[in-house]
Amino acid sequence: MQAPADGAEPLDEAKAILLVEDEILIRLVVAEELAEAGFRVIQAANGDEAVKILQSSIPLDLVMTDVRMPGSVDGLRLAALVRAGWPELKIVMMSGHLLGPPPDLQVDLFLSKPYRISSAIEKVKQLLSGDRQ
Amino acid sequence: VTDLEPISSAAKLKTVLVVEDEVLTRVSICEYLRECGFLVIEAANADEAIIVLSDPDLPVDVVLSDVEMTGTMDGFALAQWVRRHKPGLSIILAGTPARIADAAADLCENGPLLAKPYEPQLLLDRIKRLLAEIKPLASPNSGSIVTPLLKVL
Repeated sequence: MQAPADGAEPLDEAKAILLVEDEILIRLVVAEELAEAGFRVIQAANGDEAVKILQSSIPLDLVMTDVRMPGSVDGLRLAALVRAGWPELKIVMMSGHLLGPPPDLQVDLFLSKPYRISSAIEKVKQLLSGDRQ
Repeated sequence: VTDLEPISSAAKLKTVLVVEDEVLTRVSICEYLRECGFLVIEAANADEAIIVLSDPDLPVDVVLSDVEMTGTMDGFALAQWVRRHKPGLSIILAGTPARIADAAADLCENGPLLAKPYEPQLLLDRIKRLLAEIKPLASPNSGSIVTPLLKVL
């Protein structure tokens, strides 16, 4: 975790989730539900945006990503990048196409679309419980 | 238009749709607006904005949009779409991060909580810092050809 660098950062201890989803209406609903559950949600519309956020000093605890997305970085590539460069981050993968988590990626949670948001949030909470260092 | 124009109905505004293709700018602006009490919907380009604006279940009170954006249309084209399909909906076009920060601060002046979470200069400093920290990436929007513009249509 990188510490906030100036007074503009929120001071609360909310866990930060990078939500990566190219379908805006899905992104909007999931982001709202996560925020209502008390998480700080940073939204990315594709994998390329997600990489930019990862490269910044925005503190993160978990990356929640779709698999099929436009641009140069899909969800599989993003997960591989996170594992290589930010191994402390949890990864939640969401897909309507894959039957299960890719065996070569250490994904912490796989959600097969469609999924119940309330159930997904409970699992995310469990993943992040007492996790921040 | 070089001066920021006040939005007379800002006190009643609740939901802001932010349209910005530079993700670090968008994240910072949206967080700022949320901290001063707005509901904020984030769109990465005009195409996403139109999906939101076309959804009757997603009422939007004001649109704050970048001018130059990737996707099928820029901010001006989005403003034309809004004028045609959502007449009466205010859209603020801001061509630079500084203008967007000022516009967000203006919204907060009359927003739900009647307060700025912090000075817009801090917001702008944060955006600049975030942008400076990352490795430079080739971006079609990285030039300075955009004329600063804020206009309420």
